[in-house]
Amino acid sequence: MARRFRRSRRARRGVTIALLILASISIITLDYRGQAHGAISWAKRSAHDAFAPVQRAVDAVVRPVGSFLSGAVHARDLETQNAKLRRELDQLQRRSLASQSTENEVRAITQLDHLPWASGMATVKAQVTALGPSNFAATVQLDKGSTAGVAVGMPVVGGAGLVGQVTEVWAAGCTVRLVTDVGSAVGVRFGPAGDLALVQGTGLGKPLDVNLIAPGTALHRGEVLTTSGLQRAQYPPGIPVATISTFSSQPSATQEAVVGLPTADLIQLQYVDVLQWLPSP
Amino acid sequence: MRTTDVARSTLVVAAVLVVQHTLLDAVRLGGAHPDAMILLPVAAGYAAGPERGAVFGFVAGLVTDLFLPTPYGLSALVGCLLGYGTGLATRGLVRTSWWLPPVVAAAATAAGMVGYAILGAVLGQPGMLRAYLAPAIAVEAPAAALLAIPVVRMVAWALPEPSPGHGAAVGGRLR
Repeated sequence: MARRFRRSRRARRGVTIALLILASISIITLDYRGQAHGAISWAKRSAHDAFAPVQRAVDAVVRPVGSFLSGAVHARDLETQNAKLRRELDQLQRRSLASQSTENEVRAITQLDHLPWASGMATVKAQVTALGPSNFAATVQLDKGSTAGVAVGMPVVGGAGLVGQVTEVWAAGCTVRLVTDVGSAVGVRFGPAGDLALVQGTGLGKPLDVNLIAPGTALHRGEVLTTSGLQRAQYPPGIPVATISTFSSQPSATQEAVVGLPTADLIQLQYVDVLQWLPSP
Repeated sequence: MRTTDVARSTLVVAAVLVVQHTLLDAVRLGGAHPDAMILLPVAAGYAAGPERGAVFGFVAGLVTDLFLPTPYGLSALVGCLLGYGTGLATRGLVRTSWWLPPVVAAAATAAGMVGYAILGAVLGQPGMLRAYLAPAIAVEAPAAALLAIPVVRMVAWALPEPSPGHGAAVGGRLR
């Protein structure tokens, strides 16, 4: 009797596990193939919208504590950083006074030449609120979402170049996949001939791989790679993406081994612009 | 599962989710942060056995995936397997040692991360294995050891009735 009971309990447990595994695989498949993507996206947006006020409320209480603890631990680093920033601020103020006339000239040139990077594209200014919640993706979260005009697929720029692309949007926020994410691939141009290449991420905080450059192509360190904006590209043309850091060529290799560094400062990202531009379908 | 179990489990999952996204996501070492959500199925398997651990892990995984950019359902699959595996592996253990939950949590979390990355690579994201797995394990496993005792207590409160035979070897302060 006890043996039969144990056997039936084991069988029931096996059925439960099998059903759960089957359900998980079905959900993954439906999302992967796009059939349930709309429903899943709606569920994710709703979850973010519902959670955002809770997160803000808890954050308001917890952040001072966290900041105090972080400041206590990193006090010496903060002092050093503070002194460095004060020196840089002084330098910038001096340069600002000297460059006002230069800025006027640049503005005039931009209007004359219609440079794509500085063209009158509508933008949404946003602040980075958090690093992404996953340890398996290089993402950040911004404080502007669909109510501010942000949509999935819009490029995000900051500082000196491309930061990434919006991948998820909810009412009051969005997720941006950084160019350093392993899933990011940006078509770029470089050089006077406008050679083409592909910049791919290798992980958060790591340099970028620049691929598809033919062996023997003329390269130099510090060369800027800008978005190519080819037909059906994910980004408009002319946005700086990376600068070439190192390059080498192996005999019989099919491409140059090139490493780049993002032009945007992704380590200390605080304010960004979301370009209200969408790739063509 | 009884209604009170469901209500308590919902509360525990919600509380851990809030702590995860307000506190733990901001703690970064080498680009990775501690993950309390993957600790939930481990704690459920340890405290309540393989079957309830699997169910708890599945549901917690579905909730986790709502906030992640990775394929939806992946955390549910890993959570289900992790809860079941932890429950099976710890079924016959005599639980009088205080260090048992942290050791189990660290080992199971590391195994869960490997499984997560392998499944992600199978689903077309090989970067999960190549670029992110090592720092994730290096940070999450020790963090899981630190968080194990409170999380196991919370889950044991949410799922108070161990299945017959599972609790026979339970002793000491922690289940």
